[in-house]
Amino acid sequence: MSIEFILDNRTVTAEPGETILDVARKNGIEIPTLCRDERISKTTSCFVCVVKDLKTGKFLPSCSACPAPGQNIDSSSEEVKDMRRTALNLLLSEHAGDCEAPCTLGCPAHAAVEEYVRAGKNGDFLGALKIIKQRIPLPLSIGRVCPRFCEKQCRRNVYGEPVAINEFKRTAADICYDEYMEQLPVLSGKKVAIVGGGPAGLSAAYYLRLGGIAPVIFEAMPKAGGMLRYGIPEYRLPKATLDRELAHFEKMGIEFRFNCRIGVNVDLEDLKKEYDAVILAVGCWAGSSMRCKGEELALSGIDFLREVVESGNTLANPGRVAVVGGGNSAMDCVRTAIRLGSADVNCFYRRTENEMPAEKLEIEEAKEEGVKFHFLAAPVKLEKHNGVLALTLRKMELGEPDASGRRKPVEVPGSDYTLEFDTVIAAIGQKTAAPAAVPTNKYGDIPQITGEKIYAAGDCVSGAATVVEGVASGRDAANLVLKDLLGIPVPQEHTVNVSRGKWQFLKKEDLVFLRDDVSEAPREQLKYISLEERKSSFKEVNFTMTPEQLKKEGDRCIECSCTDKHDCALRKHGECYHCDPEAIPGARQKLSYDIRHPHIIQDRSKCIKCGICVKTCKEVVNLTLLSPKLRGFATCVGTAFDQGLPASCSECGKCVEACPTGALDWRRKK
Amino acid sequence: MNPAIKFFRIGVASCGIAAGGAEVRSMLESASSVPVIGVGCIGHCYAEPIVEAVLNDGTSVFYSEVKATEKAISNIIELGEANRFEIPAVRKSKELVKVLALAGKIDPVNFDDYIKNGGYEGLKKALTMKPEEVVNEVKIAGLRGRGGGGFPTGNKWGFLAAKQADEKIVVCNADEGDPGAFMDRALMESVPHQVLEGMLIAAYATGATRLFIYCRAEYPLAIKNISSAIAQIYEHKLNVFSDRELEIVIKEGAGAFVCGEETALIASLEGRRGQPRFRPPFPTDSGYKGFPTMINNVETFGNVPLILREGGAAFASVGTEGSKGTKIFALAGDLKFPGLVEVPMGTTLNEIVFDIGGADRSVVKAVQTGGPSGGCIPVELFDTPVDYDSLRALGAIMGSGGMIVVGNDRCMVETARYFLDFTHKESCGKCTFCRVGTMRMFEILERITAGEGTEEDLAMLEDLGPKIKAGSLCGLGQTAPNPVLATLRFYRKEYEEHVREHRCTALQCNAFVDLALEQDKCVKCKLCIKTCPVGAIGDNFVIDNEKCTRCNSCADVCPKGAIKRVAKGTK
Amino acid sequence: MDQQFDYLKKLPDESGNLIRGLQLIQATEGYVSDEAIRAAAEYFHQTPVEVEGVLTFYAQFKRVKPGRFKIAVCDGTACHIKGAPLIQEWIRQAIGVAPGETDAEGRFSVEAVACLGCCSLAPVMSINGRVYGKLDRRELNRILKEYKDK
Repeated sequence: MSIEFILDNRTVTAEPGETILDVARKNGIEIPTLCRDERISKTTSCFVCVVKDLKTGKFLPSCSACPAPGQNIDSSSEEVKDMRRTALNLLLSEHAGDCEAPCTLGCPAHAAVEEYVRAGKNGDFLGALKIIKQRIPLPLSIGRVCPRFCEKQCRRNVYGEPVAINEFKRTAADICYDEYMEQLPVLSGKKVAIVGGGPAGLSAAYYLRLGGIAPVIFEAMPKAGGMLRYGIPEYRLPKATLDRELAHFEKMGIEFRFNCRIGVNVDLEDLKKEYDAVILAVGCWAGSSMRCKGEELALSGIDFLREVVESGNTLANPGRVAVVGGGNSAMDCVRTAIRLGSADVNCFYRRTENEMPAEKLEIEEAKEEGVKFHFLAAPVKLEKHNGVLALTLRKMELGEPDASGRRKPVEVPGSDYTLEFDTVIAAIGQKTAAPAAVPTNKYGDIPQITGEKIYAAGDCVSGAATVVEGVASGRDAANLVLKDLLGIPVPQEHTVNVSRGKWQFLKKEDLVFLRDDVSEAPREQLKYISLEERKSSFKEVNFTMTPEQLKKEGDRCIECSCTDKHDCALRKHGECYHCDPEAIPGARQKLSYDIRHPHIIQDRSKCIKCGICVKTCKEVVNLTLLSPKLRGFATCVGTAFDQGLPASCSECGKCVEACPTGALDWRRKK
Repeated sequence: MNPAIKFFRIGVASCGIAAGGAEVRSMLESASSVPVIGVGCIGHCYAEPIVEAVLNDGTSVFYSEVKATEKAISNIIELGEANRFEIPAVRKSKELVKVLALAGKIDPVNFDDYIKNGGYEGLKKALTMKPEEVVNEVKIAGLRGRGGGGFPTGNKWGFLAAKQADEKIVVCNADEGDPGAFMDRALMESVPHQVLEGMLIAAYATGATRLFIYCRAEYPLAIKNISSAIAQIYEHKLNVFSDRELEIVIKEGAGAFVCGEETALIASLEGRRGQPRFRPPFPTDSGYKGFPTMINNVETFGNVPLILREGGAAFASVGTEGSKGTKIFALAGDLKFPGLVEVPMGTTLNEIVFDIGGADRSVVKAVQTGGPSGGCIPVELFDTPVDYDSLRALGAIMGSGGMIVVGNDRCMVETARYFLDFTHKESCGKCTFCRVGTMRMFEILERITAGEGTEEDLAMLEDLGPKIKAGSLCGLGQTAPNPVLATLRFYRKEYEEHVREHRCTALQCNAFVDLALEQDKCVKCKLCIKTCPVGAIGDNFVIDNEKCTRCNSCADVCPKGAIKRVAKGTK
Repeated sequence: MDQQFDYLKKLPDESGNLIRGLQLIQATEGYVSDEAIRAAAEYFHQTPVEVEGVLTFYAQFKRVKPGRFKIAVCDGTACHIKGAPLIQEWIRQAIGVAPGETDAEGRFSVEAVACLGCCSLAPVMSINGRVYGKLDRRELNRILKEYKDK
């Protein structure tokens, strides 16, 4: 006989044998559960499905509790949600693994690295390119100039060198860029202006177009590309390659208006009137000051590089050159000076090589090309005598670490010395030069959203950053505009990302290998043009890796993201309930994974002890090859004598399908 | 041999044996010309081995802490004055020995001894009544489960009696797992027949067909005595009722605290992992192998023969409104007279701890009741009457009756850490809140006692504790946070001292302690230097606290008490 | 079934007797070996992994052969507050065996156990079932020496 009770203030009916969870589902009330599976008897283990009996004040597992007549059940109050959140946080606190691969999380644009590496490894470069372009619309450029945040997080760093991830972008784009045209949706009719045709502006334009808006890019310079064109020298990113990349944007129907500098040739107020939204992506074009006497006698790094580009790489030999600064721009300046014919190029940096923000590879290449480095040296004075520049420097030593963790340079009194140069370049950094009438924060940068209709992206929001960060920021701005103009929801990144920890703290034994044939070979090396050619021309310094090289690199990838990342119930509910894997700190069990079975991986560190696999094997498959072992926090699911799933296992995969997480899963990734 | 002596009794329950009772017994047997009867526990465990010389006039002379030496034995058989022992008068006035009346008086495995002292009269009386009348008598008595929960026993019996089934099971839960509790062991060792009589009465009243005793394997003597008693029951056909013959089976637990939980105990009886399951169905509806099953604790059964003998109403005349009869407590910890004590429900903690236990008022900080499921009650609240409801109101529980007196030199954070260490390992590992939650609480307590705790840790304890209680499947998890929450409630200052001031006032947590040698007291005997396992004491008798592991060996061997624990950094 | 374990036939072969069977094995062999697990599984109609699941749940069962003298240090509440952790440390100092370990010669094994039920004699330990109470360092070393000499 059916009974009535109250569920979330509604009177509902339960048939005999129905649990509160069953009734909730019938009535469209969502209750999360990780341990309930209709094919097996109840396990009542996860307690994520708790509801509250308002009369007794007790919490009940709704998967197992049958309603009583007249009961008043609360399934949606904050208190109930808080209990569920705590249950999930507790499970997350013992759940070890990498939901997402650290390379992807390390990428500012969250490109699906593991996936495009796998496609590239298999020779499917068009497939790889499609995956890359979901997040990185400038693969030809970024494939060459990216500082490779992904590779710095690569788990292969634990033993040896990281996978050459960025090369997959370069090769895939070199091979397939021109043949791939995205599916473009019908235009919505909304009009968006983008101010600035650099990485952020281009990225915003790209994703707006994919969302149904063809924007207009207002570019101050005669050509598009921003820093890609005027800041990054030819030898790293040939202009022909950049032009090839940009041509695609025009093919997509994105309109460029060149020589339109805001506040000079166009007025922001006019744009606001004419367009439904304006995205400011004006970059960081003002050089930072050296803060020393006579600094006006120095060229700013960005001006120097721009002049070289504008001259068609034919600027006169700058003579004896001093570049002050230790970042990538400084490296671009010194190496450009070499290529302009200077035989005496010097780089001054106030800390040591270890603290240099420039990429190690750039520093190495600059050294190879003959640049002289002077560390622990800071400029104090610049004077001009008879057309010759006299740069006075002061020796420094390293003191206590500062807020950034880097050791602070401290002046050595009485250590000043003076050197003579023909050209002094200050490559200290760049700042935003915001257009008039645009509000800025205390750093001089523009907020992402500035009142109605105005959005901002890229360096002018974040301060000088990398191309890939600009691209990510451009996409964010586009998504905001698409939401505000077309109501398209902003795609959400995963908020629950369990991690095995930083690779610096891991050993090879801590890693999980899905395959036993992960290549032990060393990283493939880029092939370079000769050193003579490098020093005497602006020719691109290295060659795109071949598909054969990338096959070898792909074989080195551990594929460390979770096999179950797309349909892990723990992650799904965890995100629903705003969980944080770090919320409740504590130890995790140290358990080995098992890939002895040809098709199934058992990764017990991901197990949440729901007991579904054990009961599925026993009650559905009738084999009982799995059992819980031990008790307390040490409880785990094991096989007989820890020998793994045996040969007698029918490989039916029912346990794999039933497992709510990636603790039991197919070894092959889709 | 003094001719006034009729016979001897010697305590050879576990405590007695551990104190050397077996050796004393064999020496006494060879020296004595009158019988020497090995008996159970009279509760004065601190005084074991105890020998009672029963005189021809019916009075007795007790000897305590008897050594297995010729001198000690001849002193006894001559009724000498040495080592005489008398139960303190104040204790006598507070105690009401009913359930334990025969403990230490009769030979536990002598059937006739039990019969001569009123044994099986309760069963005989029950058999003259209708089963429902027996259930009713237990209800009138107001007996509540002595295992911890305090559920009314008569109601439970009623549930099972109402069931129609081919087989019905009655189980005696003798898996006394609370560390610090040994009432059930003493009952089974000392008066096994009394427990079994209670079970037989229950079986008659409820229509049960099979009886199980689920006993901890750590209690070999209890198992032995119960087994002997079962054999005697079979022999005297006490297990045969007019319509059925009962099977009585003793099953040994295998070391799992959670098996004190009804559904876990049943799983274990069935030969499976002792994991509880969700209730309902309750065991009285579906228990052992699906049969209706009722589980009572040892002491509960031990009370039943009394109820039948004296009648429910008489039984209920002792105790408080909500808690009837007497309760046996196991007293241990920082007090003078550890042992068993039986008092009327409602006796205050003051009476139990100070009057009976002889604890020193100036050194007692609290009493811990209910073991890992219970809480601490501070000495300021010792006028609390001990019954189910008053204890619950203080965040403690009666539990099975373990009572540990905690002295001022004990750190309450460390005490809480100890209990969580126990529970997180004893969790069956099934439900999230208990399996992971108790571990996280334990880790936090480890951090705090190791000097690495933070204010957030305290907040986390207060957040997790109530949630674990509310969200755990069985009683283990539902009570596991109690020791933490109770100490946080009454001794929050100690937690804050650890976290904020890096100080352990009790000087127990090694992270906050140095060892110091008082040169004035030192006699340079070098025992400490020889004893130190890490060579932390130099030839100048100064302790290097960098090397010292705080193992306290030096302080323990120092004949002058010159080595002390001091707050870290004390000059 | 391995003949070594024929004594299991003393018990009815129903699965409910599995724990008793394992107790019988442990009482006879001192521990439960892989072969014993296979035998118990076969006899009580279960799979080996199920038997492992049961035996690893209970603290009583040992999977490795214990030492000749099994020292159980009570870590019940009363013993704990009376210094059980120190007793464990002192045993380690005296015979070099920490809880959970067995020495190389297979002479001593030490474990910390839940309450032995002799709280009034705290701190307590047992060696091969014989209980020693009211321990202090001197008494402990005296007892251990006795066993060392055996």
